[in-house]
Amino acid sequence: MMQTTNEYNRKRYRLGLWFTTPAVIVLLTVLAYPIFASLVLSFLRVRFAGQGLSFEFNGLNNYADLLRKELFREALFRSVYFTVIEVIAVIILALLVALMLNHPLGRSAFYRVVLLVPWALAPVANAVLWKWIFNANYGILNQALAGLGLIKENIIWLGSPWLALNMILLADIWKAVPFIALLMLAGLQNIPSYLYKAARLDGANVWQQFVHVTLPGLKTTLVISIVLQSIWALKVFDLIYVLTKGSPADSTILLNYLSWRETFSNLDVGYGAAIANVLFALMFMLALVYIRALRPRQIKREG
Amino acid sequence: MRTNRNSVRVSRRDFLKLAGAGAASIALANFLASCTPKSEGGTLNVLVPAAPDPAPPGVAKFSEEAFAKWKADNGFEVTYEAPPWPQLHDKMAANFASGQYVHDIMYNCGWVPEFADYLTDFVDQLPADLVADLPKSSFSTLTWGGKRLGVVFTLSLLTMFYNTEHLEKAGIKEPPKTWDDLKGVAKQLTGGGQYGWVLNYGAPEGIGGVASYWMCFLQQAGGKVYDDKGMPAFNNEAGVDALQVMVDLMESTDPGSISYVGINDATNVFSAGQASMMMNWPFMLKPANDPATSKVVGKVGTAILPAGPAGSASIDGTDAYTISKLSPNPEAARKLIEFYLDKEVQKRQVLDTGWLPIRLSVLNDPEVQAAAPNAAVILEQATHPYDSYVTPDYNAVTTAIGVEIQKALAGSQSAADAIKNASDQVTEIVKKRG
Repeated sequence: MMQTTNEYNRKRYRLGLWFTTPAVIVLLTVLAYPIFASLVLSFLRVRFAGQGLSFEFNGLNNYADLLRKELFREALFRSVYFTVIEVIAVIILALLVALMLNHPLGRSAFYRVVLLVPWALAPVANAVLWKWIFNANYGILNQALAGLGLIKENIIWLGSPWLALNMILLADIWKAVPFIALLMLAGLQNIPSYLYKAARLDGANVWQQFVHVTLPGLKTTLVISIVLQSIWALKVFDLIYVLTKGSPADSTILLNYLSWRETFSNLDVGYGAAIANVLFALMFMLALVYIRALRPRQIKREG
Repeated sequence: MRTNRNSVRVSRRDFLKLAGAGAASIALANFLASCTPKSEGGTLNVLVPAAPDPAPPGVAKFSEEAFAKWKADNGFEVTYEAPPWPQLHDKMAANFASGQYVHDIMYNCGWVPEFADYLTDFVDQLPADLVADLPKSSFSTLTWGGKRLGVVFTLSLLTMFYNTEHLEKAGIKEPPKTWDDLKGVAKQLTGGGQYGWVLNYGAPEGIGGVASYWMCFLQQAGGKVYDDKGMPAFNNEAGVDALQVMVDLMESTDPGSISYVGINDATNVFSAGQASMMMNWPFMLKPANDPATSKVVGKVGTAILPAGPAGSASIDGTDAYTISKLSPNPEAARKLIEFYLDKEVQKRQVLDTGWLPIRLSVLNDPEVQAAAPNAAVILEQATHPYDSYVTPDYNAVTTAIGVEIQKALAGSQSAADAIKNASDQVTEIVKKRG
């Protein structure tokens, strides 16, 4: 009887493998192969421009170039700045929005539909929209501020280094808030209401309920949101490509854009692959944290 | 009843799922196969930019009947891929790197030396009378390793565009002819929400990027980008003076210029009547006189670019057609390019789209001169230097130069420091190429 059961399970397992094989092949082709190829390319010197495609082993020179080049260090610093500020801003704003949507007055489906509009926009469409908002002569942002009497001259939003970078940040935050807000809302709705009743009975005010009931209840959701948003912030590309192309004076170059420019514009494929791998490593570490956060918590029994 | 657990029973639902997965796999394989362009002896695949950038019949609206007749007479269908201009270089790089046949004919703009190894030298096979009707200098950016790898199809040099009404109101009788004139006139025309000069300084690289604009001024100063050995030769008085003119103009330049990444951004400002002068390509005359999009209809004049110490100079847009070495139909591709260069097609190109012809006989046609009054200006500009200094690493070089120029224009470094830094970076790029 035992032997029959084991053989049955082995057959089921083999059948399962057959069913999953097509999906695994697709994943290996679309994900694993490009990742592996990018890793290999980063150790090569790829000659392309002006001659046929050729490869020669370059050791760690591409990575040594990364450390040597000021532009890479600046792009890395800006990417970290961009990610940290975006995550903080998105989490705070998304939590506020989620709290409002969780309130009885905010529970109408209409608000949730409107909330999704920025998230539903295609990335390039979003970038073109903001390009016009930020336009120095015709943009609605300058028009609105001038109409309110807050500025006397048009501001060149994309004309100075830190201002341009932070305007791109603003545009990305606007697009990112809806999805994270919905994640937070789901997390809020999973917090049992009796916890709030118990807190009120114990004399807790609104702020104390938020700190001692809401935030602990949202812990897993917050971790997941932080990790996901960090990954998305690290790989921002469309806004830079449409709005500034890295200008002014490379001050809005982030790692993902730099990798693209080196690979496709300058045809320095090995160096571009090295930059991409650094970015991949950063995102992989964040992904590991994400996966760990998703694991069901094991409650330790004592006694 | 005992169930036999020695065999796995496949239910009808499981069978249907398996059959569905199999059918989906077959459909996917067919779809992937159809994604690869096939030349079945009757189709030419052509990569060109989308309008309003220069595009051939079938993409731009001109010579449609003649095009249909060509296809019927030659037994070839023509399939166009027409992405926005900024995507062309990346597409070609990816296509060539794949080693697969994708296109027969490709539009090229300053990238011929970069992709030289993938292009066919077909110019010698063009009819002699056609080649003789093309400006000899138009092949300078298309020749690499002693081979002519493409043919320019539109005479596109940067020239000056100015608002005649603005100049008239300010009592200025003619457009600026020298650098000092340019700075003086621009200053005089700046004020009351209007600027004397506008240009797109937001993108550093490529033809039409800020580095290429500086190359106009560099040649006007008598300078050049490379010496005879191919090393940078602009870290000198000419290079610095060229950049200093651009810096001096900033007080009269639309401040948004530093953020305009495309020429259309600057053109919009000019067409709205908010700027008095700019450099632009010849096609601009048509949209600037289109009442649907322009507020300066009938008020646009053109002139050659102001002269520096060495005279006037410009750069070549190098809009060309090239043929891929992997094309299975090189002869048909060449014939299609001959069609694009046909006199009547070239004439319709300028009359219907605004992009000037490259054939000298068509440029001198009275009907063309009447419809394109800037044709005479372009011809005059072409008598002055217009080198675009294209090399295999044109993008990397212009990015390096352009970024330093942007810093100087923003006031964060001097023109001399910018030129020195640019020269050092270009030296490194050239040495790396080997």
